[in-house]
Amino acid sequence: MKNCIQVNQVSKYFGGLTAVNKVDLEVSEGSITSIIGPNGAGKTTLFNCISGYYKPEVGQILFFSEPIHGLPTYEVAKMGISRTYQNIRLFSQMTAIENIMLGQHTRLTNIWIDSILGTPRHNREYKRSIEEAKRLLKFVGLQGLGDTQAKNLPYGAQRRLEIARALGNKPKLLLLDEPTAGMNPQETTKMTSFIRSLRDDLGITIILIEHDMRVVMDISDQIAVLDYGEKIAEGLPKDIQSNQRVIEAYLGPDVSLLTKKYQERKRLRHAVTN
Amino acid sequence: MKNPTLKNGLTAGVIFGILTTVMFLIGFNEVAAKLISKVFSDQNFTKFPQYYYFGIFMVLLGIWNGNIAAKAEFKRKNDLLSSLIASIIGGLIAGLFGLILSLIFGSLVEQQIDVRKYLVSVSPESIKLFLFEKSALTGGLIELGLSIISALAGGLLFYLFNAVNGVNKAKQSLFKNYQSLISSPKTKELLSDPIFKIAMYLLIAVALIVIPRNWGSYWNYVFGTVGIYVLLGIGLNMITGWAGQLVIGYSFFFAIGAYTFAIFTSPEPHNLMWNFWIALGLGVLAAGLSGLLLGLPILNLRGDYLAIVTLGLGEIIRILLKSDLLTDFTGGPRGLQKIAGPTLFGKPFNSDVDFMYLIIVAVLVVSFLAHRLQNSRTGKAWYAINLDETVAKATGVNSFWSKLLALTLSAAIAGLAGAIFASRNQYTGPDDHTLMVSINVICLIIVGGIGNIPGIFLGAFVLKGVPEILREIDNYRMLVFGVLLIVMMRIRPEGFLPLQRPKLEKFVKPVNPEGGAQ
Amino acid sequence: MTNTNSQNISKIKISQFIRPVISTLIILYLFYRIYTVVFIESSFTPDIWVRFAISGLIIGGMYALIAIGYTLVYGIMFMINFAHGEVMMLGAFGGFFIFELFKGIPTPTAADPNLTLNNSHPYLTIILAFAMGILVSGLAGYFLEKIAYRPLRKAPRLILLITAIGASIFLQNLAMLMFGPQRKNVVNPEILNRSNGWEFLVSGKSVFLTYTGVFSLILSAVLMILLYLLVQHTKLGRSMRAVAQDQNTAALMGVDVDDVISKTFVISGILAGAAGVMWDIHMGLVNHYTGFLPGIKAFTAAVMGGIGNIPGAMFGGIFLGLIESLGPASLGIDFQLKDVIAFSILVLVLIIRPSGIFGEKLSEEKL
Repeated sequence: MKNCIQVNQVSKYFGGLTAVNKVDLEVSEGSITSIIGPNGAGKTTLFNCISGYYKPEVGQILFFSEPIHGLPTYEVAKMGISRTYQNIRLFSQMTAIENIMLGQHTRLTNIWIDSILGTPRHNREYKRSIEEAKRLLKFVGLQGLGDTQAKNLPYGAQRRLEIARALGNKPKLLLLDEPTAGMNPQETTKMTSFIRSLRDDLGITIILIEHDMRVVMDISDQIAVLDYGEKIAEGLPKDIQSNQRVIEAYLGPDVSLLTKKYQERKRLRHAVTN
Repeated sequence: MKNPTLKNGLTAGVIFGILTTVMFLIGFNEVAAKLISKVFSDQNFTKFPQYYYFGIFMVLLGIWNGNIAAKAEFKRKNDLLSSLIASIIGGLIAGLFGLILSLIFGSLVEQQIDVRKYLVSVSPESIKLFLFEKSALTGGLIELGLSIISALAGGLLFYLFNAVNGVNKAKQSLFKNYQSLISSPKTKELLSDPIFKIAMYLLIAVALIVIPRNWGSYWNYVFGTVGIYVLLGIGLNMITGWAGQLVIGYSFFFAIGAYTFAIFTSPEPHNLMWNFWIALGLGVLAAGLSGLLLGLPILNLRGDYLAIVTLGLGEIIRILLKSDLLTDFTGGPRGLQKIAGPTLFGKPFNSDVDFMYLIIVAVLVVSFLAHRLQNSRTGKAWYAINLDETVAKATGVNSFWSKLLALTLSAAIAGLAGAIFASRNQYTGPDDHTLMVSINVICLIIVGGIGNIPGIFLGAFVLKGVPEILREIDNYRMLVFGVLLIVMMRIRPEGFLPLQRPKLEKFVKPVNPEGGAQ
Repeated sequence: MTNTNSQNISKIKISQFIRPVISTLIILYLFYRIYTVVFIESSFTPDIWVRFAISGLIIGGMYALIAIGYTLVYGIMFMINFAHGEVMMLGAFGGFFIFELFKGIPTPTAADPNLTLNNSHPYLTIILAFAMGILVSGLAGYFLEKIAYRPLRKAPRLILLITAIGASIFLQNLAMLMFGPQRKNVVNPEILNRSNGWEFLVSGKSVFLTYTGVFSLILSAVLMILLYLLVQHTKLGRSMRAVAQDQNTAALMGVDVDDVISKTFVISGILAGAAGVMWDIHMGLVNHYTGFLPGIKAFTAAVMGGIGNIPGAMFGGIFLGLIESLGPASLGIDFQLKDVIAFSILVLVLIIRPSGIFGEKLSEEKL
């Protein structure tokens, strides 16, 4: 099983602030990995390093053994990595189909001269890209909304459109930044199975940033936990769930006292009722 | 005491009072009278004296005043009486401005004091016109009275058209009928019927051939200028409207096209008398090349900085062209003259009609080019950069080269326009390439509709054609531009004809024959 | 695959070198050229250089005042107030009209039957001229913000810039239509006669320092100091700095953001108005176009110093004035091209170092 992404000792500094501190991560091809941690832990920064928006000061990032750290974002996209954003960033004035067609940008080859002259290559690619875009619309459940401007779509539809746009790139790796943010339980369940189907049906490797633990525990093959820019835990969902350090990172250092108190009380109650 | 009715009336009144004062100070009185008299075909004021027409103008202003006051008040409180009170207050306040102006300047005229040493446009005639040829006090009172009455009328009219049920309903149903007519299936069918389309194209083609021959060289000149500005508009639109990079010094590329063309066809300074078409091509190439070279260092800059850099470059080239430094090369302040006209298969092609044809062809070609690019992969990449450059890059667009392409093409189009312009005038000089040219083009695409090709036609016509037709207001043209820019940015930044995104899901038929029409 | 990537990585490294290399080359060439012209060809004697330097300082002071206006507005609203040059022009007209008015009021005495108010009460005249100029410009700044910019507070920067351009065109043309396109002569009170001044010797030749020049220099310096004190030590100044750093937080802390912004525009107007009247006094000519070039040059100065940085704007203004004055002579080019120097600096600074000499690097957007 090849390693899709390998992050080696990556650090990212912003002036005096260390946003990411010597993080290692291995993501095998075809897996779903979740990155979790409190707010400000450096998760999105790590995503930004992988996608090429930031250049890490220290460390390497390998994509199927190719170094990609320091490459500009469009190069990274061309290699087959797509991402979505915490605050949805669609091309608001463009229609849904156009957004997806932008996603296909790297997979098309016609240039301005082709468009002006109306060459067969242009026509062929144009028709194909619209068809493909319609197919993706249907895949994410947005058919019929293709000509609506992105800004006029409801929130859930916008999230799905962002994913459809990301899929236009025919990516091998998909970075999803809080894909279920702002969703109610039904939508969350749908999104979760949708993400799973991306891996199952399309074979895409997925890395997620998520705060909703039910999603994380449900679909992750592995979980990495960041806190203050460092990776504090890594492993299977059931291990992370009971990892004391992880719990403390979310709930604070006195949580161990709370846990002890709670367990004492539970024992006492148990003793009393029996 | 912040009585809102008072406030609404006061605001409207002050606005119109200031408007009246400003118009008075810039000498617009006489122009206004002339414009109105044109409507009644009485430019020589034989049927009615000049002040009648001026009075009509002031009445129209007053009606607008009352209208605005009433609208604001009505929105707040659905009541006829308070709206009318607001209108009256508006009229009163604006009228007071008029009264004060009359008293001050009227008494100056009576004492034979000419203020034109300081206020250049306030001639005694203009003042007397404002006073309706009466004394200072009488004229002032007339102003006040007119203002109040017409404001009241304005308020009443507003109420009539918006609040009275019968009239309001009639207005709305008219509007609805118009809407349904435009979007009805029959209309759509007609518009997409191929025979209809061919007929329309033929009609337009015939018009384009026949009209220039017959409406005189003045109109060919005017609309030729409009055509050149359409070219400039389409060019600037690519880099600014689509790719979203504001370029203020667009005249830079216009100048390069014009001067390159001129240098290669003028007897001085180098006495190169090359063929028109080759020189035209060189002009386009030189401009495009300059766009390419200039773009390399500057396209990484943030939006407003990029704009200012282009402004600097435009000014630099204008000053250099005007200086004596480059006179040997480019003719200095006097410019280059006796530029040759075009020849078609050996025969001279430089009458005004021929130039009109040339410009029409150029406009058609460039519009076609732009239209093809607009929704292509390239064009979409540009618009994506405009909307969100960071995400466009993350989606795979190499934004730097994309912007560079836009700038190069924009520059080349400006070069074409410049060369044609120089050829038509048989002259080009540094004063043809001022900041105002750049600003004209910016205004044009903003007013017409940013990014939208039909909008550019509209903008060019409004900005270049209308002032020609209404010669009287030529002096005020730049003033109006300034106001137009401010107002457009406030109420309709996307322009009068906003950019429409293509409908691809519904109207593009799939390749797969099994699917059939969707 | 490996080849493309390492190619890409090395391509990127090359483009990062181009900028510093070219800037170094340009600077080296300039130094070489200056050295040649100044020391080897020596077309100008030291006294002439001093003269240039003084004239540069005086104009630089005026540029600095206008530049502060740009920087204040940019710092607080992130917009380039393109119409700021016109604000200065309006102030210049204000001062001009006072001078004209007072010139026309006769106050004859036995000694001088032709005496007019501006000469019998010169200090009053000057003070009122400045007061008028400051008033007009301050009001202009206030109304500009209130009418044209405030409604667009949340709009993208480019829309604000276009609005500002519209305002600039409007004000320029309004002034032209009202007052005519010819440049008008400003007649100073006698005590500020442009031909009076101090003479001193530099290597044997005399250099003239006009009263008007000294006056402008001192006044510029005083105003700059006052502004600095205002920004650093008063409550308003603190509020201005707070709003410049983070509007929302400042609002949460109880700062009336609208009011602070309004006052900022007024202050920048006041400085521009003072510069405008100084321009009247020192240059002696005014018309609707008077504000355009100084406006753009002052903007250049503000950018050079790091836009948003007040001492930077002061430094930039003076520095630009000096370069503009000493530049053509020391580079051996025509004086006609004086403005080209300013624009070229603008272009070069924006391309090579947009954050300016003292400016901070602009923060990146949050992804």
